[in-house]
Amino acid sequence: MIPARILKFLGIIFLCVIGLAFLSVSIGQAGNGWGANYELIWLRFPRTLAALTAGLALGIGGATQQGLFRNPLADPGLTGVFGGALLGIATLLAINDSWVWEHAWSIPASAFTGAMLTSILLVALNGKKSTTRLILTGLGLNAFTAAGTLIIATRFSASRDILISGMTGDWLGLATLELIFIPTILCGVASLFLLTQFLALDRLSLGEEMAQSLGVNVAVTRRTCVLFTALAAAAATCLVGQVAFIGLLAPHFARAIAGPRHALVLPLSGLLGAGLLLLADTAGRSLWPQAPLSAAAMTALLGAPVFVWIASRQND
Amino acid sequence: MTKRLLHSAGLSLQRGNQGVLSDVNLNINAGECVALAGANGAGKTTLLKCFMGLFPEATGEIILCGHNPRNLSPKKLSAFFAYAPQSPQSTWDYTVKEFSDLSPNTELYFHWIQRFSLTSKIDKKLSELSGGERKAVHLCLSLSTASNPKGRVFLFDEPAASLDICRAEVFSDVIRELTQQGAAALIATHDLAFAQKCQRVILLKSGTVMADGSAKEILSPKIISEIWGFSSASA
Repeated sequence: MIPARILKFLGIIFLCVIGLAFLSVSIGQAGNGWGANYELIWLRFPRTLAALTAGLALGIGGATQQGLFRNPLADPGLTGVFGGALLGIATLLAINDSWVWEHAWSIPASAFTGAMLTSILLVALNGKKSTTRLILTGLGLNAFTAAGTLIIATRFSASRDILISGMTGDWLGLATLELIFIPTILCGVASLFLLTQFLALDRLSLGEEMAQSLGVNVAVTRRTCVLFTALAAAAATCLVGQVAFIGLLAPHFARAIAGPRHALVLPLSGLLGAGLLLLADTAGRSLWPQAPLSAAAMTALLGAPVFVWIASRQND
Repeated sequence: MTKRLLHSAGLSLQRGNQGVLSDVNLNINAGECVALAGANGAGKTTLLKCFMGLFPEATGEIILCGHNPRNLSPKKLSAFFAYAPQSPQSTWDYTVKEFSDLSPNTELYFHWIQRFSLTSKIDKKLSELSGGERKAVHLCLSLSTASNPKGRVFLFDEPAASLDICRAEVFSDVIRELTQQGAAALIATHDLAFAQKCQRVILLKSGTVMADGSAKEILSPKIISEIWGFSSASA
């Protein structure tokens, strides 16, 4: 049973996210308000929807990765999965950029391939090792994928601007209903699946042997969670570009509010992730309208100190 | 006829170049509580894990409640046994109450919490408990997986280590009651006082069964000195 205190928090956070969504469609460079025929709402709606769904997927994906690796510092942005997704997109753009824009599905498909390959590498290189090893492996994968994306961006001038803005997490400004359609659905599918894994993630926290004795098929849970986290990260990358820390911050705040049970942590992380990304995007473009800051820059401003704080509390 | 719940024949396990278990033959029937004793590194934990199907590469016959654990899915397998690890762990800091969500039978979990005198700690986080209390909470979770003890196997690894005298006594009583209801228990232990309360003791040395019999026969000064290298009088 969910305690009344947590239900109250859930209600407040949900109302805040709704309020933020209204704020997000109401302010911007084209003018504040909704326009005479609500045209400004429709102009900003894809961006707002993209931030909400990407934040939702990132929050849930981060909580899942932390549960799966049994590590509070895991986050698809820090473990190189986003970098892999972006490198996937960059590789496809390098092969044939004009074909890519005619086939909208190819962007999420290439992002998913990149994210999946990075996830497999992360699992293979990390094994069952320590927190430090996971973060160091992620650091290496991040550096490698960033270098790959940069090389492609500098060698193929047609894709340079789009890739650089992807690396700085600045794709929300490009959102149109057509472009966000597939990634939004994928974010939803991945999030819904990951929400069902709460009990397995809880039991995994007891160690693999104990989890298995409680009926968890550890190998299958690992594989499916890695697959759907990669899908969530890939779809979110298609919407926002590379944005770290949402997957770290949202579960951390969720645990502080609701305790460690994944039945509460997963949905609350999704809600908080959606709210944080929308807040970062709305603040970044409304506080400095002449030189807007990307959502990634805003989340890093908040996320980096929290990351250092959590890291300082780790034992190894 | 008494039902055989655990059986191994010619069970061997090689890890790297080292033989961890070698030709282990044993039978444990419903109603039996068996202590698995031996020095550190004798293969006690590995043997328990073999019965859980965690080492598919192990050779020889392994039967748990009539099934080969290597051929069953974890979900099906979990219906036949309860397991308690030597060093229980939890990544996240659940409260004793929240921990019930991890159990397949919440009501039974709270029954064991009451039995182990942990009701007053229900709102405490695991990190706020003493080592012994934390171990007892994990034992309650393991015990709660067996709604019907009849025909179930309890594979417990050093369950009484770090429990205080009262809770260790409660644990002995609980295991005796469960086996009387038709369960079988194989309990790896260094606690010879606990082993003496079991119907049978199996002694492992370097992955091989050295002796198998009643506690009185097995825990003789001669065998103790052979296995652990000291006399029982000096222990």
